[in-house]
Amino acid sequence: MTTESASFRTSLKPVWCAGCGDFGLLAAITRRALPNLGIPNYKTLIVSGIGCSSRIPAYIDTYGFNSIHGRAVPIAQGAKLAKPELTVIAIGGDGDFFSIGVGHLPHAVRRNIDITCIMVNNFVYGLTKGQDSPTTLHPEWGEKQFVSPEFYTPINPILNMTTYSLSTRASFIAQGIATDVPHLGWLIEEGIRHKGFSFINVLTPCVTYNPPELFNTIKERASYLRDGELVELPDSSMEKPWPHDPSNISLALRLAQSPVLGKPHLGIFFQGK
Amino acid sequence: MRRSLTIGIAGAGGDGVVVLGTLLQQLAASQGYFSQMPKFYGAQIRGGGSAVKLSVDAEGSSLPKDSLDILVCFDWGKYLEFQQELPLRADTLVLYENTPPREIDLPEKSFQVGFSGKSQEATGAARSKNIVALGLLNRILALPEDRVKLAIGKDKELKLLKKTLPALEAGGHLLAELSFPELRLSPVHAALPKVILDGNAAVARAAVRAGCRAFFGYPITPASEIMDAMQEELSRGRGAFLQAEDEIAAAGLALGASLTGAKPLTSTSGPGFALMTESMVLASSAEIPLVIVDVQRCGPSTGMPSKSEQSDLNHAIYGGHGDAPRVVMAPYDVEGCYRLLIESINIAQYFQTLVIFLSDQWLGQTPVATNDEFLKKDYPIRGRKRPAGKDLEDYRRYRLTEDSISPMSVVGDPGLVYQTTGLTHNEKGRPAFDFETHQRMHEKRWQKLAPLCQRDDLVKVFGKEESSRGIITWGSSAQVVLETIKELGLENKVKVCVPELIYPLSERIEGFLRATEKLLVIEMNYSGQLYRYLRSQIDLPPNTKTYNRAGGRPFSRKELTGPIMEIIR
Repeated sequence: MTTESASFRTSLKPVWCAGCGDFGLLAAITRRALPNLGIPNYKTLIVSGIGCSSRIPAYIDTYGFNSIHGRAVPIAQGAKLAKPELTVIAIGGDGDFFSIGVGHLPHAVRRNIDITCIMVNNFVYGLTKGQDSPTTLHPEWGEKQFVSPEFYTPINPILNMTTYSLSTRASFIAQGIATDVPHLGWLIEEGIRHKGFSFINVLTPCVTYNPPELFNTIKERASYLRDGELVELPDSSMEKPWPHDPSNISLALRLAQSPVLGKPHLGIFFQGK
Repeated sequence: MRRSLTIGIAGAGGDGVVVLGTLLQQLAASQGYFSQMPKFYGAQIRGGGSAVKLSVDAEGSSLPKDSLDILVCFDWGKYLEFQQELPLRADTLVLYENTPPREIDLPEKSFQVGFSGKSQEATGAARSKNIVALGLLNRILALPEDRVKLAIGKDKELKLLKKTLPALEAGGHLLAELSFPELRLSPVHAALPKVILDGNAAVARAAVRAGCRAFFGYPITPASEIMDAMQEELSRGRGAFLQAEDEIAAAGLALGASLTGAKPLTSTSGPGFALMTESMVLASSAEIPLVIVDVQRCGPSTGMPSKSEQSDLNHAIYGGHGDAPRVVMAPYDVEGCYRLLIESINIAQYFQTLVIFLSDQWLGQTPVATNDEFLKKDYPIRGRKRPAGKDLEDYRRYRLTEDSISPMSVVGDPGLVYQTTGLTHNEKGRPAFDFETHQRMHEKRWQKLAPLCQRDDLVKVFGKEESSRGIITWGSSAQVVLETIKELGLENKVKVCVPELIYPLSERIEGFLRATEKLLVIEMNYSGQLYRYLRSQIDLPPNTKTYNRAGGRPFSRKELTGPIMEIIR
C-alpha cells in the first residue's frame, strides 16, 4: 500500500464480465504505463465517473476517486490546478464523456490543463444493462457495414474531439484497443507524458450487450498508425493514402473521419507541441 | 442635529447614482461615520434605473430608516421604479433635477436644482452633475469642510474627486440658494477607523484569511463579485482559480482541489446552487471538505435575480438525494459574513464535510461602513486531521474513530494512498454492498457533526434570557428585527435569537425557548422555511406565530411593528 507499489494493483477483484476489455485497460495502466513512467503512486490521482469502466480506481493502487456520472473531468482538473505536480487521469465510459459529461470536454480541451482523459468506449450502457449510448452502432440500419456514414451519420467521438482540439494550441488525441495491452499502455504513457490535455479513446465493445461481430470486426479491420508510414484507408475510400504525421491536425481530422467499422486507426492521431 | 440620516438617490444609468452614493459613503466614513447603502437595480445591463438608500449614522448601527430624510432625484421615471424602496414623508427634503410627473406628490420642502447646469458651468460638461449633488449633500450634512478636503487628498478611493473639485464646490455653494430646516449630522465622538465592505467582499477576504487558495465559480447575480474578487486574489500564481463552464463543473473542480488538501470555495446563487446538488451529496458521502456560498435571491427558478429573499434554506438543509448530513451557516451582517466564512472553512476542513453558507442579496451587495476591528482580530484557523502513528502502517481512510472523524491523507503526500467513491464504502474506502456497513457509515457521518450542537457562540441572543416573549429570525432579516425592537424601545420586553449555525440545530436554541411562552418567527420567504424546520426539530411554544412573506422588497420597521407588538401583549 505504501509508497511505490510494485504491481499498482489493489487486492480487489473487478466486477467486470469475463472477457471484458476493461481488464485490458487495467493491465495497460497498472502493468505498462504506470510502472514505465516510474511516478510514485501517491503522486497519481485517478478520477472516474460512473459506469463499468469507472469502477477501475478501486483496482489501482494510486489515489482514486470513483465519483459521479459525467463529472470526472471537472474533478480531475480541480485536483491538477490545485496541485500541478500530480499526475491526474480521468477515466470514464462513452456515456460519461460523451453523453452526460460532454459539456465539460470542449472546456477541458480549450484550457489544455495537463490531465489525461481516457474514454473507454464500449458502445453501450453496460452497467444499466444494454441501453443505447451516444456511440451505439446500429447494425440493422446498414448492410455490409454496421454503419454507413451516408445512411446514418454515426456520432463519432474522435471526430468531435479532433474538431474541438483545432481551437487549442496543444493537444493529444489517440485511439487504442483494449485487446492490445502493450500498445494501449504505450498510448497512455505518451498521453501522460504529453504536457497538456490528452484524450485517448479506447475501443472495447461490450462483450455482453454488443453483438460479438462488433469486437471481431473492429479487431479485424484495425490498422496501426506509424509515423512516416502510409496510413491504411477504408476500402471504400477514393483518397490516396498519405504518410502518417501526428503533427498535422488536418490529416488527423481525416483519420478521425474514418468510420470505426471501416478502418479503425490505432495510434496517436494528433500531438500538438 | 441628527444622529442619523437616510438619503435616497435615484436616476437612470449614466446619472452616476451609485458613484454619488459611494463617494458620500466614503466621505462620511473618512470622518468616522457608520453607514449602510443597499442598492436597488433592475434587470437592464445598462441604461436601466438604479437607486441607493444610504443611511449615515454618527453612533453605530446604520440600517436605513423606512422612509427618506433626503431624496436626490435625477430622473422621476426611474424613481417610480424604486418608489417602494424609497418612500417619501411629508418632511422629506427633495432635491430634483426635472419637473416631476403628476403622480408624484411632492413634499413641502422640495427644490428643483439644476445639477447638470451647475456642472456645465463649473466643469464645461454636464457629466459631473452627481458631483455637484455630492457637494450639496456634503454641505447639508455639514461634514467638516477642512477634513473632507484632507481626506480627498489622502484617501485612495476619494482621489478621483480631486479632478472634479470645481463641481464639488459649485454644489456646496447651492446650499445658500435653498431654505429648509437644518439637517446637520451630529459629530462623531470617538472616531474609530472605518472599513467599507459588502458581504460579498467580506466573504472573499475571509476566504483568503482562512487559507482558501482554490476557487471555482460561474457568473451569477448577485454572487459574481465573490468570484471576481477571488480571481483577483488568486491570480498570478497565488492559487488555483477557474471560471468553470457551469456550476456543476465549479463544484466538481472544488472537490478535486479538496482531495489535494486545498481549502476550496465556490459561490453561487439559487439556480447555480441547484446545479451543485449532486456534488453536495458526494462531498457529504465521501467526506470531502467543501464550502458553497449561496447568495440568495428571489426564487424559485430565475425569480428576481437582483432582489433579496431567504428561500434557499430548504435546499441548503435538505437538498440532494439520500441522507446527506451537512452544515448550514447563515450570517446576518457584514461582520458575520467575514467571521462565519472563516469558521465555515474551519468546520468543513475539521469535520471533513459540506458546509453551505447562506448569504443573501441584501447582505452580499450592501456596502457597510463600520469599525474595522473585526478584520484585525485573531481567528483560529483549523485544518484536517491527518494520518499519524498507527494510521501510517494500516491506513484506512474511513477508519471508525471515537469522534467519527477519520484521518485524511491528501493526494501527493508521500507514503499513503487510498481509493474512495460515492458508492457506499467501507473503512478502506472500498465499495461495500451490505446493510451493516451502510448503516455504520451513515452513523459515522451524522455523529461526527454532533459537537456542533454545543456551539453556543454560533447562536446570537439579544435581550433578557428569562423574558417570556421571544423572536427567532435569521440572515439579513435579523437586522431589521433588531432595529425595530430598538426603535420601539422594547429591548427589555422581548428577546431575539439569531442562529448563525442553522444546521445542525444548536442546543442554545432549546435554552432560548425554555422560558419562552410566546414566540414569533420572522423570515423572508413565502412558506416559512425556518419555522417549519424548527418545528420538525424541537418543541415550539403552543403560542407560536410567524411573520413571513416573499422577498422582493426589504422588510420595513413599520410592517414588523404589528407582529412584534402582538407577541408583547
